[in-house]
Amino acid sequence: MQSMWPGGVKCAVCITIDFDGPSNDTGLKRVVLGRFSHGRYSAKRGIPRFLDIFERQRIKTTFFVPGYDAEQHPDSVRAILAGGHEVAAHGYLHESFDLGDEEPFYLRKTHRILTDLIGRPPVGWRNPGGGKSALTVTTLRELGYIYDSSEKDADLPFFPIIDGEQLSDFINLPDNTSSLDDFPFYRVSFTPPSEVLTHWKQEFDALYREGGFFDLIVHPRMGFGSGAPSRAQVLEDLIVYIKSHPGVGFFTMEELARWCLDHPGQWPNPALS
Amino acid sequence: MSIESVSARNVSISVNLHGSSVELRTVSKERLLGRYAYGKYLPIGVERVLRLLETRGVRATFFVPGAEARAWPALVREIAGQGHEIAAHGDAMEDHGALGDSEEAVLKRAHDSIAEVVGVAPLGWRAPDGLLSRRTLPLLSAMGYRYDSSFQDDDFPYRLDSDGGQGMIEIPQNEMLMDSTYFSIRQTHDRVLKNWTEEFQGMHAAGGYSCITLHPRPDYGVGRPSRIDMLDTFIQQIQAMPDARFKTCGEVASAAMNA
Repeated sequence: MQSMWPGGVKCAVCITIDFDGPSNDTGLKRVVLGRFSHGRYSAKRGIPRFLDIFERQRIKTTFFVPGYDAEQHPDSVRAILAGGHEVAAHGYLHESFDLGDEEPFYLRKTHRILTDLIGRPPVGWRNPGGGKSALTVTTLRELGYIYDSSEKDADLPFFPIIDGEQLSDFINLPDNTSSLDDFPFYRVSFTPPSEVLTHWKQEFDALYREGGFFDLIVHPRMGFGSGAPSRAQVLEDLIVYIKSHPGVGFFTMEELARWCLDHPGQWPNPALS
Repeated sequence: MSIESVSARNVSISVNLHGSSVELRTVSKERLLGRYAYGKYLPIGVERVLRLLETRGVRATFFVPGAEARAWPALVREIAGQGHEIAAHGDAMEDHGALGDSEEAVLKRAHDSIAEVVGVAPLGWRAPDGLLSRRTLPLLSAMGYRYDSSFQDDDFPYRLDSDGGQGMIEIPQNEMLMDSTYFSIRQTHDRVLKNWTEEFQGMHAAGGYSCITLHPRPDYGVGRPSRIDMLDTFIQQIQAMPDARFKTCGEVASAAMNA
């Protein structure tokens, strides 16, 4: 099988972390107290625990950070950067709702906040909870972004079609929030962590067999996230399992996106095929 | 000593005394029948929980709504008489985030009801359904409460001063160690025990504090005989773990405050 991936690896793996601190509940106009305090766990416990795991396992990852969370927890963002990980954008108040005409304003606001913290502009974006519009990619491209990781309609990266034309300077790195995300199991079905580990191993086995793209989403918060010890252990066990396979490459999303832009022939939009 | 070291591997069993005060938020007393009757199971569920705690030698914290203390004064005194802690849990399952100016009066009504029934004022408070306003913690602090147990954002107790709870401690809960999380979506006993066990083992290995939250009800709680058996299995698992120590929420808060 011909490899599509950097370094000629058989399977490309991105471990991605959606910060989801107090922004989610604040954006839903909830006071982040009591049952709505789950997001406060991210900066306190979840992020440090994840960073320890990634350091132990020697992998680089991508953190999608809402602008509001970066304002509230700048030290967490600095710790993420100090660990050599990528920081990308994830809405301002994790707007899973439609922002309408105001969307470009908030994309720019978060862009400024993250740029100041990182020292250079972020180049990636993931939609918070599914919110995305026709304005999104246009605005992101104006700001110099090179990838979006929000689309669910493909297994492999692909160039989006905007105004009838397939782009070549901006790539979709698809995600899947039904099966390769902690939220559905820890919020919708309340599945025991050991079963989630088995499930994600099965996901990896199949994608590895195909020489595909494995894009996992985890959250450092309590509630629907993987920040707590039992669930963080699942994440580490999964990484160890993936690493035990020959020909696996762990990449930040930026690394993968740049590779895709440098090898444009491999990523046609599925709608054109 | 740090809060983390004094509370490491401590375990609390907390019981939210949910009776018909839950249903009475939406229906009148005359309609506590059929599907609205679950809350009336309270004394049966409580007796079972008490027997199990006595058998296993565990003292727990019962969070009691003021209305349930008024409805079941003898039962609440029996709980206290067996060495368990009685703490406050709203008055009639109010949403404290929506009470506005009446919040102080509601807190006081619950406080006075419990103090009158038990004979001592409660030192701990838990928000019904985990819903607080920004005024709740300052009001509790002014009323002399020493701890809150409504948040779910840490592996250890912590000080609430920066959240407005001057001099108070947070005893964090964990929805993964609640009965209602799983029974409200109809999970089986085996699945609930598996979830609880894995969550507890993870927290124990990390040296953290675990707060288990139960309800005596037969719908989203552990009141039914089969579920009490499952809870017994879980308690025995915990008691078999090295260094695991059962303490009431009040004891954990007191140790944290002095740390």
